[in-house]
Amino acid sequence: MNIFPTPFQTRRAFIGRVSQGVGGVALASLLEKGGASLFAAPALAGTRGVIHPLPLPQKVKRVIWLTMAGGPSQFETFDPKPKLAAMHGEAMPESFTRGQQLAQLQGQKLVCHGPQFPFAKFGENQTEISTLLPHIGSVVDDICLIRSMTTDAINHDPAHMFMNTGAQIAGRPSMGAWINYGLGSEAENLPGFVVMVTTGPGRSPQPIATRQWSSGFLPSKFQGVQLQSRGDAVHYLANPGRVSRAQQGADIGAINALNRQHDAFVADPEIATRIAQYELAFQMQASVPELTDLRGEDARTLALYGCTPGDGSFASNCLLARRLAERGVRFIQLYHRDWDHHSLLKEELPLRAKETDQASAALITDLKQRGMLDDTLVVWTGEFGRTPMSQGNKGPTGRDHHNKSMSMWLAGGGIRRGFVYGATDDLGYAATENICNVHDLHATMLHQLGIRHDAFSVKFQGLDAKLTGVEGASVIEGILA
Amino acid sequence: MTSWLSRIFSVARFVRSGNASPSARRPSPLSRVGRQGVAFLAIAVSSARAEDTFFAKRVTPILEQKCVVCHGAEKQKGKLRLDSFAHLMRGGEGGPAVTAGDPKGSELFVRVTLHPEDEDFMPADSKPPLTPDEVKVLELWIAAGASEVIALAAIKGAPALAAPKAAVLPLAPDWRARAPQIAQLEKALGIRLVPRSMVATDGLVLRTASSPGRCDDTTLAKLAPVADLIVEAELARTKITDAGLAVVGTFVNLRVLDLTRTAVTSTGLNDLLALKNLETLNLTATAVDDSGVAALRQMASIKQTWVFETKAGGADNPTAAAKK
Repeated sequence: MNIFPTPFQTRRAFIGRVSQGVGGVALASLLEKGGASLFAAPALAGTRGVIHPLPLPQKVKRVIWLTMAGGPSQFETFDPKPKLAAMHGEAMPESFTRGQQLAQLQGQKLVCHGPQFPFAKFGENQTEISTLLPHIGSVVDDICLIRSMTTDAINHDPAHMFMNTGAQIAGRPSMGAWINYGLGSEAENLPGFVVMVTTGPGRSPQPIATRQWSSGFLPSKFQGVQLQSRGDAVHYLANPGRVSRAQQGADIGAINALNRQHDAFVADPEIATRIAQYELAFQMQASVPELTDLRGEDARTLALYGCTPGDGSFASNCLLARRLAERGVRFIQLYHRDWDHHSLLKEELPLRAKETDQASAALITDLKQRGMLDDTLVVWTGEFGRTPMSQGNKGPTGRDHHNKSMSMWLAGGGIRRGFVYGATDDLGYAATENICNVHDLHATMLHQLGIRHDAFSVKFQGLDAKLTGVEGASVIEGILA
Repeated sequence: MTSWLSRIFSVARFVRSGNASPSARRPSPLSRVGRQGVAFLAIAVSSARAEDTFFAKRVTPILEQKCVVCHGAEKQKGKLRLDSFAHLMRGGEGGPAVTAGDPKGSELFVRVTLHPEDEDFMPADSKPPLTPDEVKVLELWIAAGASEVIALAAIKGAPALAAPKAAVLPLAPDWRARAPQIAQLEKALGIRLVPRSMVATDGLVLRTASSPGRCDDTTLAKLAPVADLIVEAELARTKITDAGLAVVGTFVNLRVLDLTRTAVTSTGLNDLLALKNLETLNLTATAVDDSGVAALRQMASIKQTWVFETKAGGADNPTAAAKK
């Protein structure tokens, strides 16, 4: 990271950088004593990132990432395949699948399974999208659809890790942590990385794990903070009965004074994290009730999203995502679970579509009408795609996990609008045109945030670890406006 | 995308490519021997001056950029140097590099036109290959006799040279000279003044999102020392009023202004008419109406205004009004 001049380096970033070894710690403590005024605790103004100034002009200031957990089928959402429909029920040609890794269909008879719902043409460019997603269809001129995304992983957990951290094995920092580490947090009274989770009702879907928003080897203050969708957004947010805000503030102040003293002595980034988190928690006691109080929202806005305050729905979370964005939160990730349709595809997928369609589109519309879409990146994606072959060994027909083709979309600052990028083969088995992968997606996101993905690295276990991995990634220039 | 953004963006791509022009690091293509040769020949054949030859103007830049890293004064892979006409004609361990009049019989041309996967393809090791235009230039030059002195104009049909990149237009003065002041203001006012990019003349972004409640008209007034550096002001949800807009009107290089959910009114907007570079203005959820917005939309520089949740824009309150 030293290629960037850093005239405003913070004490924490500085320590974080030099304290990689014992020598570094010693140096940091020395400087700490000699230059106390230089590294005095920063005034309350969020945190400054390590990349400063930015190598590239910033197109977007924040990211709202909509994760459709479980892996939505592209054949029932964004990738129409008439040839697959024509071959419905026939054997999948072996030329497609020979020697390929499959998840639960390994060794099974492979049968073509056509799209289960009709597609319709939407927008100026007559983009074909499933009739299950009419609202997203109505904003298709504002989004960029990628039909040629691929991923490395074929099972949920590694695929989620890969999508979030660029590595299948748990332990790397997630993208929200990387971005807050690099750019700093704009919000001093809210976390820079917020996660909210909703689930389709009535089933027990594939689990997701907090390691998906972990800070990995970065200081843990960069990890995602999960707000609850129902009830209090944060547990135990209010002070106990007779404790006033002033008393609470005095307590936090005293604890942090002690922590600072110790931090000055041992220079451990985790103490800095603890100090920051105590301060942040105290601020959040005031900021979170204000954030989640939707009384100030126009009735038309609530109708646009299709939510009622306190319903704990994905739609409510989309509205909260906009409110978090307005308040300077850098990375907002919403999960909506239960897209893992090995079975009951025809019965369950339309329900997930209905739960997310209007709200996803409303988020685009709302950001746009407020002039925020130009500096926000919105991403809608699962962790992988699904097979064009049917799966029948888990009950009524569904589709298996698939990593060679998946559909997703992006919208916002600097992204081409009303555009379809890439294509899959006739049966939708593999991406064939403008093939891109998750590393490329991360590279593109960082590029839009003003970060050079290939220069944004942190020394870890002897390697220059990057979000975009070591295999090489490219910004997807074709989707940039 | 607004024009200035796209311009910055193209600059950024230029910066991103890193090593701008290898020629900056390389010695002159024409060695002393080469120059003497040119001078001598220039007298002999009374041909074009060295600077106006096809070789100097068109061939040399290609060799410099794509070849001399490995075939020059420092390295001579295959015992070949391409950093002067004399060296080029001498060839390498595989024999002559150029057969005058016969591109397909010239190693120089053949090697750069192989399949990129071919192990003999040049430039080797995944270095940037020649562009089709550059290949064409070499082909024409060899076909015309591979002469060092043939005039630039004597070879017809060479692809036009790309226009030189436009100089970077500064959006604001270089902020670095005022770095201490900036740091001091940030600390004193609890706001952020963030450089827009690595280009120091891209100006600063005034950010208040971390705590908009701390920013009011007094805060803005204190920004006078950096008023000309601010190209983008994020004032959404701050406590500023029309009085503050009088100060914003002195941010002479301001291009993007966000006043979402502030107490500003149409009266205050008049102060913004002085901002000759203002391109984007967000007035969402403010008390402005058509009386204030109409004049602004007439400004030559304005590209987009947002008036969602205001009285401006007519009965149906169109969400965003982009200037045609």
